[in-house]
Amino acid sequence: MSDSIDRGRRLLLGAALSGIAGRTFAQAEPLVPSSRRMETLKHVDAGVLNIAYYEEGPADGPVAILLHGFPYDIHSYVDVAPQMAAQGCRVIVPYLRGFGATRFRDSATLRSGEQAAIGADVIALMDALGIRRAVLAGHNWGGRAACVAAALWPERCRGMVTVNSYLIQDLSRAMVPLSPRYEVALWYEYYFQLERGRAGLAANRREIARLLWEEWSPQWDFNDTTFDRSAAAHDNPDYVDVVIHSYRHRFGLAAGDLCYAEPQRRLASLPPISVPSVTLDGDKDGVLPAGDGSASASKFTGRRIHRVVPGAGHNVPQEAPEAFAAAVMELVRG
Amino acid sequence: MTEKTAAAAPHAPSSKRLEPLRQVDAGVLSIAYYEAGPADGPAVMLMHGFPYDIHSYVDVAPQLAAQGCRVIVPYLRGYGRTRFRDSATPRSGEQAAIGADMMALMDALGIRRAVFAGYDWGGRAACVGAALWPERCIGLVCVNSYLIQDIANAMAPLRPKREVALWYQYYFQLERGRAGLAANRREIARILWTEWSPNWPFDDACFERTVVAHDNPDYVDVVIHSYRHRFGLADGDPHYADIQRRLAALPPITVPTITLDGAGDGVAPATDGTASAAKFTGRRVHRVVPRAGHNLPQEAPEAFAAAVMELIKA
Repeated sequence: MSDSIDRGRRLLLGAALSGIAGRTFAQAEPLVPSSRRMETLKHVDAGVLNIAYYEEGPADGPVAILLHGFPYDIHSYVDVAPQMAAQGCRVIVPYLRGFGATRFRDSATLRSGEQAAIGADVIALMDALGIRRAVLAGHNWGGRAACVAAALWPERCRGMVTVNSYLIQDLSRAMVPLSPRYEVALWYEYYFQLERGRAGLAANRREIARLLWEEWSPQWDFNDTTFDRSAAAHDNPDYVDVVIHSYRHRFGLAAGDLCYAEPQRRLASLPPISVPSVTLDGDKDGVLPAGDGSASASKFTGRRIHRVVPGAGHNVPQEAPEAFAAAVMELVRG
Repeated sequence: MTEKTAAAAPHAPSSKRLEPLRQVDAGVLSIAYYEAGPADGPAVMLMHGFPYDIHSYVDVAPQLAAQGCRVIVPYLRGYGRTRFRDSATPRSGEQAAIGADMMALMDALGIRRAVFAGYDWGGRAACVGAALWPERCIGLVCVNSYLIQDIANAMAPLRPKREVALWYQYYFQLERGRAGLAANRREIARILWTEWSPNWPFDDACFERTVVAHDNPDYVDVVIHSYRHRFGLADGDPHYADIQRRLAALPPITVPTITLDGAGDGVAPATDGTASAAKFTGRRVHRVVPRAGHNLPQEAPEAFAAAVMELIKA
């Protein structure tokens, strides 16, 4: 099941050199992280949201939807998106609910951050853009959104790339403790259960995000510009509500939005993922330690490859964009 | 106001046990305690914290006894061989209860006045006793200054770096945290010791000597209640409602006081003592102890014992 990233890179280079996508991949070795912004954004009404998203690549190309996590933003894909566009993909990178310029269309909609909601948002975005099928790729919350959509709506999913394997939450086991050294890393999740944590996030969202970036990616030498570019997305007026709800709901300590009762009911059975999948772990991930993928093997009933990405932390697409892009391209090519 | 202590002379930590223990009915508890020194000497109550035990004072107690003190080192409720006398008593860990326990122990032992000295939970017990029963208190030695909890402000966040260090307090709000503490109390204690005392090279024997005190049948209940009550997320025992009402006013401490901060404290960073100055209306000296972490009496026993002796001699 495991595979090395070197093989992935060879596959990517091999594919690029053989001209499958009609473009060569010129940027494989030491990559200078881009300082650009992903602009101009587009906006579309999709379900309960007006979603802000970045698009790149040919409109008739195979679609890849790249889904960011917490506490990040679309710039986790700043180096992945152009690599994929250059290989002929239509790349869509949305801001999740509560992030960036994405807005709720109705002030009365519950600011839910539950897994069913962020998964349903992906499908709503595809519907709004007339996209029938796409590769869904993500990390952290975005990886969870990809898993939810792939599990519940496999007919819409050509393949899935996630960091940290199977991410659908088992709420029925949320009160089972982990070994304390893993619980320490979840300090923010416990903090967010209290109103003190909500107030702390509202007042100190940048400081908290920076701590998490540093803890989760101990070898990633990001600079202030890189951090500020993403952290600005957390000034969204719904950020605090969505984040707090997300972390309370997963422990069964906040009720879900009734709108998503049906998908959440289906998610509670921990449905398998049948579409072709590539799962990546960063071997320096400071919050979810890398594994060999075997613990989640039974959740992947289709073809699945697991890789450990050397040197990468939790924000794999931004820290190891070649590895992430290579995984997506393998699924695009089928 | 701040003094610096001289760096402690290199010191070989004791590997002995504080034995034999004595046992006395005191209020709602049967308290296990260690006693040393002359029965007619000035009394000193040495109060341990979480997740520690009486061996925080393994080197302090003999130093004080040798200088003529009657030293009393009790296991707090939920620790060691201290037991609740009635199975129906709520296993409260609230500040009023641990303060009242200390006074009940003094009553049971016929001790009219004593120096109250402690750190962490034990420092809080000492502050509660000194603030509410100053006539029983010769003087106070406390690590981290004024420790009476302002529950009304418990929902005000600290800087995120400080909040990270309180991970266990947030964890304990969830039933997952209760289950985690019950299953992994040793591992949690070792993580906290390591985080809170980054300069303290304790060994396995030292850790094991203390951590057996956490096998007390009431440990998990008392600890979880303590950390929920301080955030206003668990009700107090009505038995202590009047004491807790008085503590809610954040009463000043009038007795002579020495406050100590460990320069290496990983959970409550060392201060210059000014933030709490208004809470000490009597003579108060604040000191920063070089290198020491949160478990100051065990890490810097000379500095701790010297502070106690100053109050006794004054």
